[in-house]
Amino acid sequence: MDGFIATGLIGISLGAQYALLALGFTLIFGILGVINFAHGGFYVLGGYLAYAAGHYLGISYPLAVLAATFGTAALGYLFELLVLERVVDDQLTTLMLTLGLYLMMSTGILVVFGPQAPDFKFPVSGVLRGGGLYMPIENLIVLGVCLAAIVFVYLLVYRSGLGRALRALAEDRQVAAAQGLRPKLLFPLAFALATGLAGLTGALVTPVLSLAPYLGDPALATSFLIVILGGLGSVGGATAAAFIVGMVEAYSAVYLGGSKGALALFVLVLIMLVVRPSGLFGRESRGA
Amino acid sequence: MSRVRLSMILSVVAGTAVAANPALADCQLKLGVVGVLSGPAAQWGIALRGAAEYVAAEANKGESIKIDGQPCRVTVVSIDSKYTAEGAAAAANNMAAQGIKFILGPIGSPELTGIKPIAVRNFMLVMSDSYAKDAIGQQWPLVFHQGPGPSGWAGPIIKFAKEKFGMKSVLLVAPNDQGGTDIASVDRVAYEKNNISATEEYYQRGTTNFAPIITRIMNAKPDAVDLASSPPGDAGIMVKQLRQAGFEGPIGRLGGPGYEEIARVAGGNEVLKDFYWYEPVFIDENVQGIAEDYKTLMHADRPENNLFFQWVSATRMVVKAIAKAGTVDDTKKVAEALRSLPVEDPNIGQGRWIGQEFFGINQELSFPFGVGFVVKGQLQPTLRVEAATGK
Repeated sequence: MDGFIATGLIGISLGAQYALLALGFTLIFGILGVINFAHGGFYVLGGYLAYAAGHYLGISYPLAVLAATFGTAALGYLFELLVLERVVDDQLTTLMLTLGLYLMMSTGILVVFGPQAPDFKFPVSGVLRGGGLYMPIENLIVLGVCLAAIVFVYLLVYRSGLGRALRALAEDRQVAAAQGLRPKLLFPLAFALATGLAGLTGALVTPVLSLAPYLGDPALATSFLIVILGGLGSVGGATAAAFIVGMVEAYSAVYLGGSKGALALFVLVLIMLVVRPSGLFGRESRGA
Repeated sequence: MSRVRLSMILSVVAGTAVAANPALADCQLKLGVVGVLSGPAAQWGIALRGAAEYVAAEANKGESIKIDGQPCRVTVVSIDSKYTAEGAAAAANNMAAQGIKFILGPIGSPELTGIKPIAVRNFMLVMSDSYAKDAIGQQWPLVFHQGPGPSGWAGPIIKFAKEKFGMKSVLLVAPNDQGGTDIASVDRVAYEKNNISATEEYYQRGTTNFAPIITRIMNAKPDAVDLASSPPGDAGIMVKQLRQAGFEGPIGRLGGPGYEEIARVAGGNEVLKDFYWYEPVFIDENVQGIAEDYKTLMHADRPENNLFFQWVSATRMVVKAIAKAGTVDDTKKVAEALRSLPVEDPNIGQGRWIGQEFFGINQELSFPFGVGFVVKGQLQPTLRVEAATGK
């Protein structure tokens, strides 16, 4: 029984990390209609910015995480404003541009920091134990920050003027623009919010696991899997799907093994694509 | 002076220079490095590339390769094979198109599987480092092995580890592809020969969070865990998460070397606690001399991973064979020369050709190797083991 509960805790922990990662990915698609192939790159960049801020500038870890969040958000803002904005309605071009950005980011990180994992540790160690269960304190902190960030994103999207404006643009861009909303002002902000979330996740999670230039690929793959399951562009769907993926990954790996566990996840997504192609909370097509 | 006259003079000067040293202008030996240079196993490929570049510089400095009495310039072409069969195949095709006849690497078993058909088609001589069960064989006479796989060294290491830690059961963890299964299954047999019950557990390559796998391992309650050929980055995370989960037993790593990175990712020797691993070369003062010479010659520190030293000895053997054969094109002739060379290295010492028993062909270099230990969080002096024989 302890093992079953411990696995559930791992699933929740994984789900929270995945949710934070996937929220940005689905936000960009929902609002801009862009599939951001550079999302994994922003995750890795967040980790490296936090590492560099702490290692080279000597600033504390919490400040380094903030620096990474704002750094990746700033890069996302500039990229949308200067590169994506002009072609934002052309899905193929935006896909190629974001893929190109990802290749530039991962190669740049490789050149600057090298391929080996740097010494980037979470500042708090120790494990809480009790009743046959355990939880590393670092995981608990990351879980708390992830959940707080998810709540923040929800409040921002559903309870603020900016969120209302972004949702209006996602719903019907032409009508929203006719109402006075300015996509050219709001799109870069939405992109920055999404890349900032990816950067925040990277800065939080990589010191708990490890930091290396290649980690963008699995981050992107996980984000894709989650938003397909949850429905492209759906914030609620991505969150629910992230926790489902976390749970399925944890329980299947523990009870079926590493190989069959990975297979179980893909089978789940495949079934979802057949039964409900638009995902758990997705719409048939974007309104914008 | 008119422009035409100046051009004529320059042409004559250039022509004279080439005529004075025609071999330097014509003779080029390109060594192809097919190695993993990105991802969690990048350390191994960086060690290979560093060794190839070092030996090339050494050969150029000493003009050790001469064709028809004239020195031949050695250069290195490296391509990232990404630890995949298709990556290695693409790299080999690229090298074949460049006319490269000698390949150092690859390192992973899937990579070697991918490279062999291309190497056979193009008569390339391959000095590989895969631990695949079919890494070399009679059907691939131009494929050599730069050092034994676990069949050559797992047994003695397990014997030492059992003496030190007294484990009776072990769970082997590795990626679920040929780079994992071929090593873990050979390791398992070696454990069982030492009367230690062993089970295998595999994970999807690319996994970044091993917490669920760790829970599964903890449920199995093994005395020891062996990370086999899991890349150093993955192995470091697993060690850390095993200790967080409360695993107190020894952790082994009977796969490629990577102690430094594993310790760094895991959080240091105190987290490794009780740990044992395979060191491909026993590093004494003589071997350390390579590192110092590397610094002088290459103006940089040698690559961190100790696979570097093994690659230096293997690359030197290939270069010696090319020099002995007196050709940079005829790989069959070079292979014959390589087989006939005594296995010795100025820094690493004496070794031997092995592989007949396990692979059916004696094309595996075997030098003395080391067994590394961390006991109760303290790094121990590496144990020296004589070169594996007859395996």
